[in-house]
Amino acid sequence: MTRTAVLLDTVVRGLYPGMLVFSVWLLLRGHNEPGGGFIGGMVAVAATAVLAVARGAGAAEARLPLGPVRLSAAGVALALLSGLPAIAVGRPYLTHLWADLPLLVTSVKVSTVLVFDLGVYLSVWGALGGVATAMIGLDEDDPEDPAP
Amino acid sequence: MPAEDSSVPSDSRALHPLTAVPLALVVATAWLWLTFEAPWQVSVPWVPSLGVDLTLWIDGLSLQMLALIAGVGVAVFIYASTYMAGVKGRGRLFSWLTLFMVAMAGAVTADNLVVLFVFWEMTSITSFLLVGFKYQEEANRKAAQQALLVTGGGGLILLGGIVLLGIVAGTYSVQEMIAGAHESSDHPLLPAALACIFIGAFSKSAQWPFHFWLPNAMAAPTPVSAYLHSATMVKLGIYLLARLKPAFGFLLFWEVTLVAIGATTAVWAMVLTLRERDLKRILAWSTVSALGTLVMLIGLPGAGAAEATAAFLLAHALYKAPLFFVAGNVDHTAGTRDINRLAGLARVMPWTAGSAALAGLSMAGVPLSLGYVAKDLVTIAKSQGLALDWVGHTTVVVSVVSVAVAAVAAVRIFWHRGGASLPADIHEAPPGMTVPPLALAALGAVLGLAPWLALPALHDSARAMMPPTTRDLVGLPDVASTATVGPFQILALGLVLYFAWDRLHVWMDFLRWFDRFGLAAVYERGLKVIPATARFVTTRLQHGSLPGYLALVLALPLVAITIVLLRHPAGPWPAWSPPPLGAAGAAALVIGASLAACRLRDPFVMLLITGLAGIGAGIFALYLGAPDVALTQFTVEVAFVVVVAAVLLRVRNRTPAPLERMGARPVLALGLGALTSVLVLAAAALPFDASMPRYFGDQAVPAAFGHNVVNVIIVDFRALDTLGEIAVVTITFISAVPLLRWLRTRRKGTA
Repeated sequence: MTRTAVLLDTVVRGLYPGMLVFSVWLLLRGHNEPGGGFIGGMVAVAATAVLAVARGAGAAEARLPLGPVRLSAAGVALALLSGLPAIAVGRPYLTHLWADLPLLVTSVKVSTVLVFDLGVYLSVWGALGGVATAMIGLDEDDPEDPAP
Repeated sequence: MPAEDSSVPSDSRALHPLTAVPLALVVATAWLWLTFEAPWQVSVPWVPSLGVDLTLWIDGLSLQMLALIAGVGVAVFIYASTYMAGVKGRGRLFSWLTLFMVAMAGAVTADNLVVLFVFWEMTSITSFLLVGFKYQEEANRKAAQQALLVTGGGGLILLGGIVLLGIVAGTYSVQEMIAGAHESSDHPLLPAALACIFIGAFSKSAQWPFHFWLPNAMAAPTPVSAYLHSATMVKLGIYLLARLKPAFGFLLFWEVTLVAIGATTAVWAMVLTLRERDLKRILAWSTVSALGTLVMLIGLPGAGAAEATAAFLLAHALYKAPLFFVAGNVDHTAGTRDINRLAGLARVMPWTAGSAALAGLSMAGVPLSLGYVAKDLVTIAKSQGLALDWVGHTTVVVSVVSVAVAAVAAVRIFWHRGGASLPADIHEAPPGMTVPPLALAALGAVLGLAPWLALPALHDSARAMMPPTTRDLVGLPDVASTATVGPFQILALGLVLYFAWDRLHVWMDFLRWFDRFGLAAVYERGLKVIPATARFVTTRLQHGSLPGYLALVLALPLVAITIVLLRHPAGPWPAWSPPPLGAAGAAALVIGASLAACRLRDPFVMLLITGLAGIGAGIFALYLGAPDVALTQFTVEVAFVVVVAAVLLRVRNRTPAPLERMGARPVLALGLGALTSVLVLAAAALPFDASMPRYFGDQAVPAAFGHNVVNVIIVDFRALDTLGEIAVVTITFISAVPLLRWLRTRRKGTA
């Protein structure tokens, strides 16, 4: 990357983490309000794309946890696994379970749904984020190959 | 696909360990025959939902086939152990031979036709591998391909026949078919079913007009030819017909077809034999002729025909397999199979010459040989049966040429002192290659001198080929007691033909004229059509032009859906209701942006404008109460525009053609837009079934603890669908990674 626009770089410095936080917020509220894993994942993809434009595809790809392919595969694996607890308690696969996790005075609802939605989020982020960085980085001299 | 043998290309002539398999089968067959009263049955359910059971039905016919498969198998395995010594891929050959043998044994013991078909196909595939064993040479690859396409294509038709027969008889079990044969004999589908079965059996057993593949399959190593193409595989078609004979043999259609095709094949193959100079091809054509005789015998009614079939099956295997071995020995030591260049080999190859002589006597039908017994029975069967008139005369032709062929294989190359010059260092083949043919030929000779040794087994076999009601063999002629007309005349004529062989050969060349009309020519032409068609389709559809692909992908549904809509007009127009103001504004934004995009020339601005149209669609969804759809639309649109903008900024060398030069593309776009509008209206005109949305809406909170119904559907009610979708996204990405990497390296290379 040779032509780094200073302005863009400065904006992205704050924009990228902000977009990621926003995407996670969308993911978490999804069950009761508009949002969810896919929408959150798409916002994360947009964040990665913006970062790739500003700092180069290699840099953006390096910020994807595990690298794009593994991130995407991990998402699918997470979604696959989220259905297993149901089998353990004798319900059909992918029947989601809920539990109240007591936390001092209050309690937090945890569920396998959230794990499933996280899997959707990660697979979308990994796969489409990987495509985005690869497309943006087509003419980059970056010798670093996309992670396997 | 087995890898190249990495083990030592062993020079060992030692018996290959897999020889134990045919040996075990010999023992098992003998034990079955001695211990149990045939028929013997064992049944295991296999695919009960399709009525397919793994039923083994072993009667006299199965036992005879098993004995041939196992007995000739042992000889072939012993022979191949020496023949293939030091040849690369020796182990591969033995594995395939064993697989083939198992398939054959399965095919001749299966009672269920579907199971039989599975084994049948297995023999086709192993035969393909075996014929193409020396795949480095193109001729062998072509021969293997031809054998596979002809027998495999016939197999497909056979499958059709089996299914039809299953519909006709209401069962796939052969024994049940035989039991209920007369009830299904006037079923309208029966002729079609039998015709398909015939085509399958004829292609496998190289009957006219499918006869051409067998001589070409002689590209296989000699042990393979001896096993597959004389003793076993080509007899599978014969076996199937013999197996079905008790059920359908009484039909006139059966008799006329089999007798006509069988006799035609028997004669025509013998005529074609006279053209050949290659010892193996000569033997191959005479095998085709023998198969024709067998088909004809199965077509004939009566106990005599069944008896003759069983005897001829045995006799043929016991003389033809040794003759193939002999051809292999000659080829192995003299380096040629051209009969013009072979003469006087008896001096150096006494054992090979001995087996050739024994087998040749049987093939020529000299009295006191097994071949004579068989031919005697064939003649009797013909006189008993209501054979077509001309068929009677074919025997003379076939017998005479058989004598000549036997003389060529057994006398000419061994005792004839011609002008052929052979290499000086010719020697006898090693024992591993002289014992098997000698043993088989000697067995044939013993049975020829004492036919009563084989008679009980042959009677069992013949009984299995007859309807249960007529299985008493009363009235069977005493073997070898009936003096038939002119065995010596036939011998004499055959010898005349033998001495005239060379002159005749030149004369027979005119037969090439017929080659243009046979199925072989059709096959050759058909083979050329396949790549030509593929090339045509590829150049038309895989042209590499992105606008071309897009046009095709859009035009096909446009045409197809328009046709459907015209044939099934939709209901009345839905009633008009004024849209919310916001939605109307969003629609205006979409329309305006689309129109603007058509007029713009700069691709970057064009991208931004189409993005605006997408945002408009999102706003539209927002006003119609679908915030999740709107959010998805926004995020996808943003990510798309960012990525494509980044790419476009770097590759800014393409401007789209002006609208006037776009040809039919605007028409396509407008047509598709109009069609989509009509489709949406048509869908809206249908009465709305609210039961599903109501269910999801009612159950979202109590069953899934979520207030966002859309998300609850995605992650809970339809979680399995979502799982599939993200798996597809991930797999698509993983498949795209090499392409993207390749694009990057290519750009680097050209930069």
